Amino acid sequence: MNRVESPAGRARLDLLDPMEVARLGGLELVAEGVVEGFLAGLHRSPRRGFSVEFAEHRMYQPGDDLRYVDWKILGRNDRLYVKQYEEETNLRAVVVADVSRSMAWTGDPELRLPKLAYAQRLIAALTLVLQRQRDATGLIAFDDAVRATLPPRARLTHWRRLLETLGALEAGQGTAAEPALRRVIDQLRRRGLVVFVSDLLFDRELALKALRFLHHRGHQVIVLHVMDPGEVALQGPAEARFEDPETRAAVVLRPKDWAGAYRETVEGVIAAWRLACRRHGIAYHAVRTDTPFGTVLRHVAASRPA
Amino acid sequence: MIGFLHPWLLAGLVAAGIPVVLHLLERQQPPTIVFPAVRYLIAATEAHQRRLKLQNWLLLLLRTLLIALLVFAAAGPTARFGGVSGHAPSALVLILDNSASSGAVVNGTPRLAALQAAARQVLHRATPDDALWLITADRTPRRGDPTALGAMVDGVTPSPRRLDLGQALATAGEVLAPETRPGEIVVATDLQATAVTPADPRVPVLVVRPGEPPPRNVGIADIATGTQPWSFDGGRVVVSLTGDSGPPVPVTVRLGDRPGRQALGLAGGSATVALTGAPGGWWPITAELDPDELKADDRRVGAVRIAPVARARWDAAERYVAAAADVLEANRRLARGDEVTVGKLGAGISIVEPPEDPAELGAVNRALERRAVGWTYGALVTGSETTDSGPGLARQRVLKRYVLEPAASGRTGVVARVNRSPWIVRGAGVVVLGSRLDPAWTDLPVSAGFMPFMDFLLNRVARGEVAVIEAAPGDETPLPDRVTEVRRSADRWVVEGGAAFRPAEPGLYFLLSGSDTVGALAVNVDPRESRLAPLPDEQVRKLWRARVTGPDEAAGEVFAAGARGDLRGPILWAGLLIGLAEMGLASAWRRET
Repeated sequence: MNRVESPAGRARLDLLDPMEVARLGGLELVAEGVVEGFLAGLHRSPRRGFSVEFAEHRMYQPGDDLRYVDWKILGRNDRLYVKQYEEETNLRAVVVADVSRSMAWTGDPELRLPKLAYAQRLIAALTLVLQRQRDATGLIAFDDAVRATLPPRARLTHWRRLLETLGALEAGQGTAAEPALRRVIDQLRRRGLVVFVSDLLFDRELALKALRFLHHRGHQVIVLHVMDPGEVALQGPAEARFEDPETRAAVVLRPKDWAGAYRETVEGVIAAWRLACRRHGIAYHAVRTDTPFGTVLRHVAASRPA
Repeated sequence: MIGFLHPWLLAGLVAAGIPVVLHLLERQQPPTIVFPAVRYLIAATEAHQRRLKLQNWLLLLLRTLLIALLVFAAAGPTARFGGVSGHAPSALVLILDNSASSGAVVNGTPRLAALQAAARQVLHRATPDDALWLITADRTPRRGDPTALGAMVDGVTPSPRRLDLGQALATAGEVLAPETRPGEIVVATDLQATAVTPADPRVPVLVVRPGEPPPRNVGIADIATGTQPWSFDGGRVVVSLTGDSGPPVPVTVRLGDRPGRQALGLAGGSATVALTGAPGGWWPITAELDPDELKADDRRVGAVRIAPVARARWDAAERYVAAAADVLEANRRLARGDEVTVGKLGAGISIVEPPEDPAELGAVNRALERRAVGWTYGALVTGSETTDSGPGLARQRVLKRYVLEPAASGRTGVVARVNRSPWIVRGAGVVVLGSRLDPAWTDLPVSAGFMPFMDFLLNRVARGEVAVIEAAPGDETPLPDRVTEVRRSADRWVVEGGAAFRPAEPGLYFLLSGSDTVGALAVNVDPRESRLAPLPDEQVRKLWRARVTGPDEAAGEVFAAGARGDLRGPILWAGLLIGLAEMGLASAWRRET
């Protein structure tokens, strides 16, 4: 295993291969290791990150992220200012996790975590980051129905309870995302953060409708599209019968013959999700299960409302 | 219509099903893989599914077609179509009619030369892939390549034999029957009507015949010497002529080397020549015409035996025998004496009839055994039977007869048979009759043939002579039992009595039994060869379903029977194109997907 170390000389678990990280221990240990590395890599206050509240302006300095330049002031005064955000200590966030049967799949059990296992560890790390910011985090797990609900709380003990709930989740049956997303409304009475973690193998329009609704309610919505690399590049024997574990729908084909068309289709699906989300002010990230957790956390941290 | 050189290879068409079988086998129970993103697969394949199915079926079709074409090509397909310069590998039998009539000279050239030229042209069109046979007047099929058969054709000379074209076609048909290549028979012949007999060789027949009409011809059909033996006073020879009618022609007949005597005769008629007496013995008789365009039939040979008549003793109580003997005596064909005893076993030469009283049969048999005749009387057979015709005896009804049983030494000396069973036999100077010469036993005594039969029996059979046998060159001729040697001038053939003899050349052959000359074999050209008139082309076409052409057109017509082109080349090219198309399409589509 290649070791990636922090400036202090400790291993950066957030940048390691997820499979390797998962072998180190349980959800809590992994989450703490990943978050520690992640925060060490930010080089700024852990109290700045996912907040949506504007704090103040300051003069632009070389190296500042151009995304935070206030272009209106530049237009009026011809001066470069950047916007600074103040974290909000009472942010309420809900992670909506897909635990349908399709999430239990991995293209290579030796090398990659199943999508659900990957999502569990990612959610653990993500909620730990939020907990460190003293944000309240909740959890809704669903397959073809809502399987677990944990209302947002900011206490550390709550996070541990969230981990217990998360760890107890097993892949269920089919997928029905809309009821789970509507359940969020009950949990987030005021504006908050909704992180939707799923392989998105369901009706896009129905789910988008619910996501849009959340966005319109003022929530910041982030979609993490979890995919196994085996779902991105089609592989298999000369000819095989591919069967959907949820719907039992099947198709017989030669992977070699269809690899190209399949890749184009998957890229089209990702592009369609990305475009639809962007249109409705929803952050979208395609996440492969071989992507280090820290990379995903950074993407999430970089997400801003449109 | 497409034909095949190796039709059995078409069984390989089963192999054309291999791609389909492989396709079906491959489709059987592919492994199942759990795959959550099946919806993406379905979406990916939906658009291409119909096209892919079409592509798969097209590839399957191309592969099946490719195998079918290869099998088809291996089977050697041929087809008839116009503008073909070559021909498919064929099996061809060339019948070159070099029968006696082919020696007829037309415009200073033997007719055979024109037929040979036509045959050479036919062989010139042949290729090493063709199976070729040559049949000439001997009707023996000889196989060879075009060069070898060309040399044979060059060496062919007019044969004294007759060639029955119907039989030759049948032989050719048998030769071609096992052949898988397209068969054809080419008959180069003068097409004389007497040689054309029905045939159904079941392959195309091309008849090549000379365009010029045959020459006028007269030949000798037969020499009749009358009753033999001749007395020392001589006898009369009737020479029958055959051929085209015209003015009388001179016929010269000579006895041995003696000066000939001439008479005039017409074709279809005869000329009679009286020959003066000569010393006793066998004498050759030669009849000759002045040479004409066909020399093979201008000379004919025969033989005559000159000897004193038999001196016999007979029982006057035997009504029919006595009456016949009296007549023969009156006509100087028989004299009274002790040389031959008629009716019972005498001291010398005897003609023995079975006894009227069956009780005496045992005594007769014992007497025959004592004389070592080699034959005894067996069971009595009653019922109407008929004699087998033979020299000196026409077919006669037999009502009652004793079975003649041979001794252990063998069953030689059979003179006449009834239902293939010996009826008159001879051994140790004794002639044994199976029936009494009485109307209660046989119709012979009351028939017109009885007098010549008695003459034949007394003057020739009893004395151990056999008839003069007529044969044509090449004919298989059964020899009498007694004959042990055949002699012609200085040539000698040791033969086994009863076996067949096949004289190759015309001429007179003497038959010997030990040192005694017992008969003669006159071998002459078949008189049907003298009639040179050809059968009209139209009749030949109908009879053999043949095409008839002249020598100059033969080269263009042969193999056109077949005019069949070899389809292997085009089919292999088509297969190659299909193979390339399959490879190109398969790789292009693979890149696409």
